Amino acid sequence: MAMIAYQGLRVRRIDQVISTDDIIPGRYKHMFTSASDLVPHLFENLLPGFAATFDHGDVLCCSQTFGIGSSREQAVSTLLAAGVRAVVAPRFGRIFFRNAWNLGLPAIEVDTSSFLESECMDLDLVGGHAHCNLTTIVFPAPPRQMLEMVEQGGLLALLAKRYSRSIPLRG
Amino acid sequence: MTAPMVEQIIASHSDCGHVTEGDLVTAKVDRVYLQDGNSPTICRLFERYGFHGVFDPERVAIFFDHSVIAPDKEIAARLREAQAFARRLGVKVYAAGEGISHVVALEEGWYEPGSLTVGSDSHTCTGGVNQCLALGMGASDCVAAMVTGEVWLRVPGTVWLDVIGTPSSNTHSRDVAFYILGRYGQSPFLYRSIEWMGGWFDELSLDACATVANLGVELGAKCAFLPAGKNRSSMLRPIHPPAEGDPRRLKVDVEGLPPMISRPNSPEDVVPIDECKGTAINYVFIGTCTSGRLDDIAQAASVLSQGKVKAGVQCLVTPGSKKVFLEAIELGYIEALIRAGAIISPPGCSACLGTQGSIPATGDRVLSTMNRNFLGRMGNASAEIYLASPLVAAHAAIKGEIPSARELEQWR
Repeated sequence: MAMIAYQGLRVRRIDQVISTDDIIPGRYKHMFTSASDLVPHLFENLLPGFAATFDHGDVLCCSQTFGIGSSREQAVSTLLAAGVRAVVAPRFGRIFFRNAWNLGLPAIEVDTSSFLESECMDLDLVGGHAHCNLTTIVFPAPPRQMLEMVEQGGLLALLAKRYSRSIPLRG
Repeated sequence: MTAPMVEQIIASHSDCGHVTEGDLVTAKVDRVYLQDGNSPTICRLFERYGFHGVFDPERVAIFFDHSVIAPDKEIAARLREAQAFARRLGVKVYAAGEGISHVVALEEGWYEPGSLTVGSDSHTCTGGVNQCLALGMGASDCVAAMVTGEVWLRVPGTVWLDVIGTPSSNTHSRDVAFYILGRYGQSPFLYRSIEWMGGWFDELSLDACATVANLGVELGAKCAFLPAGKNRSSMLRPIHPPAEGDPRRLKVDVEGLPPMISRPNSPEDVVPIDECKGTAINYVFIGTCTSGRLDDIAQAASVLSQGKVKAGVQCLVTPGSKKVFLEAIELGYIEALIRAGAIISPPGCSACLGTQGSIPATGDRVLSTMNRNFLGRMGNASAEIYLASPLVAAHAAIKGEIPSARELEQWR
């Protein structure tokens, strides 16, 4: 297992319960299938203007439960397309949590109260710690299968590899 | 102790003879169903990763329910893509007008007791009414399940919700579920399996039980299981709770519980109806996978057959399925609703999430029987959404405001 670590992530704080409706409103995900079409509408209702400030290498730090409600995977694919590399929160909505790991976006359950907006964060998944300013928060390292999904580009990339290996060569 | 229901079902669908909380296992899937809103995304994932078929076309279905009447040309185009995708895969299709997936799935026997179903919509948990392990999942999980007939699962812990006492006669099963959400929040239930129990369930209708199962996801649960009872499948098994006093067994006293209201913008912001009495309402929506079954339409019709929708109030009623619609016509409910001034829209998700009309106007105050009232849920973030039962919603349509518990009692 290679080391999966992110250095120099920028903390983006959110201080309320977030539903997947808040991340991406229902109508847009029925209109568009490309995540880049959805990015301008990220958090459109709840936090107008927030999406425009996202940058590659952001880490969302939510102080409350993140991603409750609808199963929409676009809540994850749109965050990824906007540059978000990881999400940390004390708790996650169950389906969002699965979707995040399935698409290779680490969702880590930690107490986020010590992380401040725009601070720099280093995140080591295998070691199980998040380091921010002078604080280090420890968490149980995710199971090997979940780390593998992040490393290999997601659940379906892994599945496609397995399938291509299982198809016998003709000749 | 007998293993919790979720462990029994996962174990019987995997190579492991026995599983416990926290295990990561690969389980065989009996059925997979998608809805129209995420099928186009799922179609793109099939193309991107080069998948061509499904594990068993007879066990995969696509339901067209979220945009029965396409509201714009983009969504119309996505619906055509979803139709073509369904034809290519040769899976079962429930066309627009058949109804909401979770309502039709119950009618059509897709939730077999003890089976494992994956759905692309979060309210797939409705299958728990039949003790089916029914799991709402995202697009990638659905693709994997469709292609391989398998899914990865982390075995959840179980919480037993022991409901004691009897709520007031105007209190719906959904009020009990929302009361619990308001009182405890999602924390005790997040990622877990809920096994409901208690004498209150014995006499409940199948429709009322389906509502409780449906709200499992609002409680944060992975899945929910309803107990056996008079009006339910004879295949259901008894619930085996741990002894009283076990921290996993939560006793909830609902004796005399009044109807509940969720205030904007969170299903969890639940208060007894009297805390909202007199709140002006100008749009009432009755329907959805939570409250669009025959019992629900019957309750709305019983109230509205004795009054008229107040001038200036829009009252939209959407039967959950074609079967519900036809039965409601036969029983005179639809005529009563139309004569009272309600608008009837074709079976489907209707106004629940802004993917078809009727979108509320800016400044509207909506009372809806749906399950979520997140900001902008119905397609306009400048409308307020309150949640309540069909009975309360029908009264609000007549009065143009949220009634008090006393008014409901007097009406009886």
